[in-house]
Amino acid sequence: MVKYTHILKYLSASAMFFAPFICSGQVEKQLTPAEIKQQTIVTEPVTLKKGFIRSGMLTNYRVADKYFTDDGIKEYYPSNIWGTKSVYNLTFQYGISDRMEVELSTEYMNSRQESQKTEFIAATNTAKTVVTRQKGTGIGDTYVKIRYQIFPETSYRVSVTGNINLAIPTGEKNPTDIRSAEQYDLPVGSGTYALGGGLFARTIFYPYSFTFGLNYTYSFTGRKKFEITDIREIEFQPGEVLNLSLGANLHLNEWIVFSNELTYQHKDKGTVNGHYSALLPLTWSASYRPGLVFQVRRFRLGESVTIPVKGKNTAADPLYIVMAQYVF
Amino acid sequence: MNRTINILVAVILLIFSAAPEIYSQSLREERDKYTLLTMPYNMRPLTLYRGQLKADAGYKFAVKGRKFDNDGNPVQLRTSGTGSVYHYYFADIRYGLLDFVELGAETSYIRHGVRSESVTYTSVSLTSAERVTVNQLKEIKGFSDILFNATVRLPIKYKWFDLSAKGGIYVPSAEYKQDKPEHRITNITAADSYTVNYKYNYTNGFGVPVYLLASQVKFTFRKLSLQAGLTFRTPAREGTSIRWEENLVEKTFIYYDQSYKYLLSDAWFADLAVHYQATGWFDIFVNVSREKTTGGWTEYWGNKYKNRETELIMIEPCFELQISPSLTVCQNAGFPVAGKNSDAPFYLFTTIRFSNFPFFR
Repeated sequence: MVKYTHILKYLSASAMFFAPFICSGQVEKQLTPAEIKQQTIVTEPVTLKKGFIRSGMLTNYRVADKYFTDDGIKEYYPSNIWGTKSVYNLTFQYGISDRMEVELSTEYMNSRQESQKTEFIAATNTAKTVVTRQKGTGIGDTYVKIRYQIFPETSYRVSVTGNINLAIPTGEKNPTDIRSAEQYDLPVGSGTYALGGGLFARTIFYPYSFTFGLNYTYSFTGRKKFEITDIREIEFQPGEVLNLSLGANLHLNEWIVFSNELTYQHKDKGTVNGHYSALLPLTWSASYRPGLVFQVRRFRLGESVTIPVKGKNTAADPLYIVMAQYVF
Repeated sequence: MNRTINILVAVILLIFSAAPEIYSQSLREERDKYTLLTMPYNMRPLTLYRGQLKADAGYKFAVKGRKFDNDGNPVQLRTSGTGSVYHYYFADIRYGLLDFVELGAETSYIRHGVRSESVTYTSVSLTSAERVTVNQLKEIKGFSDILFNATVRLPIKYKWFDLSAKGGIYVPSAEYKQDKPEHRITNITAADSYTVNYKYNYTNGFGVPVYLLASQVKFTFRKLSLQAGLTFRTPAREGTSIRWEENLVEKTFIYYDQSYKYLLSDAWFADLAVHYQATGWFDIFVNVSREKTTGGWTEYWGNKYKNRETELIMIEPCFELQISPSLTVCQNAGFPVAGKNSDAPFYLFTTIRFSNFPFFR
């Protein structure tokens, strides 16, 4: 028995002595918190480390020029209307633990629709010009998101992160300041709560990282005015939304990342007063989003463009996105 | 006579004394391609180095929210709903044949839809009601002609001054004849109440060879550089194209084309840029450009009408960022300042540049 105890002691001692040499290839470089805060979108932890705060602004801009028809054909808007939409999204993220983060975001909307049409009336030999001016500015909806690393990247080659999202309808949902049928303020909010969840997988093969995302959103019933002629608010429920994404990011150098993402969004038909309505049609779109992300110490600046490739009943114009973030 | 000989001898001696600074085929300089590929803007000449290949791919997104009229007054297009966007894709490839001779080719692709103000014609009587709405869209889409060009610069090593001259020709490779229109009748609510959607399809080619002459000059003082250029473009000859007309019979369009002659306008393009080399990999600059077209005519119904003279002055803040020895990204934002008979688009132009020495180690 004593003999076996000695053998065990020798084995333990040799294991401890040789362990660093045997496992030399497995040693992970320990990064300081300051270094972690300077990592790029390829190498950063998939959720913020405990106590870290990231704040940022995301601006996107789109012009209404083309759309995908019900038959999936890309066409110009037929009549002369000039529409633009800018969204300024403010985000605040906090690492609750090394595996869980919470995100709060809100948005400021600025959308405009302008047109001018002339009508010649033969009976009176007169011409009438109808000018349309509609703008929608103000704070939009608020979003809360929680992310948790189910399979943490420290233990698995492919990390899997689950997320739960809640949309709170804080933005104005009805047309306001109605001056005429053509001139009023557009709504800036969706008018309904929405709850969603999904999974996000990522693996890193430096200098590349590959991602896959799947998200589902369920919208609750809400009430709002769709048209300015609506006397009272109408009950509605937007359709369920499914989002898929596939990404590949590449380090062009140590601080610039070329990001690529393929996205697919499917939005089911919605209901108005309990019935399917043309106001909330089925839409889907498949897009490609290339971008450049610059990491300058803790500051991150990115720009990307979402290019709709195929779709149905949805906008077909590129969406320009500029992002600025800072990790405290 | 003696004085002339003395001057000639002095010039020859000066040239010989500067010989190490002059490139020649017999000189075998040590060439480190990574040094050349990462050469900052303020230290590089106006043409590529010998053996250097450069390929650019760019995308310009332009928002045409206003234009300048004949008197140079800005006209808002957004408020009338006739604003539009350009999608402009650009590609070029250049090769440094010698340290002071460069060959290149470039082309572009554009997609631009312009909507006119919709008009409705209403006629109501006791027995009938007619209401016809007319929408009009003109789409310009397609490749431009390919420009083949050659550039030569002073055969001296670049220190603070450089001068180049460029000559080129646009080969009429692109489609230039207007495509058949695709007009449609929609929203037929009654026999005489419907919407007419006119859609004209234009192309992007010149249709005739066009010559290009250009010159650039560059000065550098430490981190600051000044670059100025002048470009002239003129057509080689008159061209012939077609113009589509249509008749609407029983809600069906019948198209026919008519031939017409044209002479493209001459175009002058001048630009002046002030560069600041912030670090070795980051150059920031402001460019001011002026484009003017003159001359030329277009035939309508057998008569020649002079083309409108156009003018546009733009200011462009830009940056050039070296990502890696082979990759550079450039971005310009263009703001229209003044002009005449011209679109006044705001744009963002992003270009990715790939550069290498394919035949050198």
